Amino acid sequence: MKERECPQARVDCLTRKFGDEVLVYDQERNVGHCLNSTAAAAWKLCDGKNSASDLAKVMTRELSTPVDEPVVMLALEELSKARLLVEEVRPVRRTSRRNAIRTLGIASAIALPIVTSLVAPTPARAASCFANGKPCASNAQCCSGKCGTGGHCNS
Amino acid sequence: MKKLDRLGWAAGIGMRAFGVEAGVRVTAAGILPKVLPLLPPGWKTSHKSTVQRLYSLVVAKAGQDHRLRRLHILYADGERIARNTELDPVLAALETDLHRYVAETSPDMTFLHAGVVGWQGRAILLPGRSLSGKTTLVRELLSRGATYYSDEFAVVDDFGNIHPFTRPLGIREDSTFAQTKYAAATLGATSGTKPLPVGAAVICKYKAGACWNPAPLSHGAGALELMANSIAVRNRPQDTLRRIQKLVKGAVFVKGTRGEASESAESILHLLDSSDRQEQA
Repeated sequence: MKERECPQARVDCLTRKFGDEVLVYDQERNVGHCLNSTAAAAWKLCDGKNSASDLAKVMTRELSTPVDEPVVMLALEELSKARLLVEEVRPVRRTSRRNAIRTLGIASAIALPIVTSLVAPTPARAASCFANGKPCASNAQCCSGKCGTGGHCNS
Repeated sequence: MKKLDRLGWAAGIGMRAFGVEAGVRVTAAGILPKVLPLLPPGWKTSHKSTVQRLYSLVVAKAGQDHRLRRLHILYADGERIARNTELDPVLAALETDLHRYVAETSPDMTFLHAGVVGWQGRAILLPGRSLSGKTTLVRELLSRGATYYSDEFAVVDDFGNIHPFTRPLGIREDSTFAQTKYAAATLGATSGTKPLPVGAAVICKYKAGACWNPAPLSHGAGALELMANSIAVRNRPQDTLRRIQKLVKGAVFVKGTRGEASESAESILHLLDSSDRQEQA
């Protein structure tokens, strides 16, 4: 995505609000993302009509604190890395990123946009399993998924 | 399955737990009493003619040709899932598969992979993967007066409350990781019977020599950790997220690496005490 283009959030994800944060579940990739308040504010405004500078203006108004375009670009980059935007956002230039962090460090009225991601486990991965060497009777019992012919979990 | 059906089934039982219907049939009637303690806690007899999952346990006969390996074989819906010359590993496989199936398919509850204890009317969740030290920490908390809820699953209802899943604690006592089962009562602890709201969730992993210095987590980050320990999030993401959202209200989340359980257990109980004081203030 070029800087002048308008980022669009994916609409096929499940979302839940936790205060200022948003938990987004990507059903296609089975990954959960926690968007902190700044990232969540940017994501909410990515409707395919607002450019990064528009987003900065609206976020300034909504968060009642100055939000610069580099900060918005940083948020978009985070969202893009998490594949939560329809189109990819190219990485922010190092100087812009540094500027954004410096601006946030000085102003610090808003948090650095952060998206934390964790893969949703398969049922087998989520439940208890046996370590290697433990007697087993089925592959499902072993953390490695392999119950050897000797009746012990192995890798 | 038809071939299996033609075998002589000596005994069987239908059960219902957390909204899931399952059945177990065995070729030797004497084995059924060994199966009953392996059924999910709180199960009730079901007389429905059809079940969602049917386990068939073929017990090796004593009089078979001694040159052949005598194998006990377990099938689930006609698919062989375990076999062994010893019966105990096959029964363990039945327990593992049945509990996992209930956790995965329950329409009424969301199952999180977590140890749970009750403390002063609230639940403390200890989510974590296998071998992360959940049971050790649960046992330590029980020794300090906490009520036993589970060492395997936090069972979450529509209100975000945690229900007991009081299977015997599986304690690994030596370097072979072999588990010995202990009922909570034999450890001097009482088991919970009523659902509890969550007071705290402690995301931790054991590392020898580590100093317990947990960092607080926001509700969003805490919810993400719970999602990553949810059994059925891939199949039922909507229900899972809805119940987790209810669960986190009023809960404190911390994350860190712990050393010995005795050190972190005391701190965890204090965590809930201090959050209570903050709420009262």
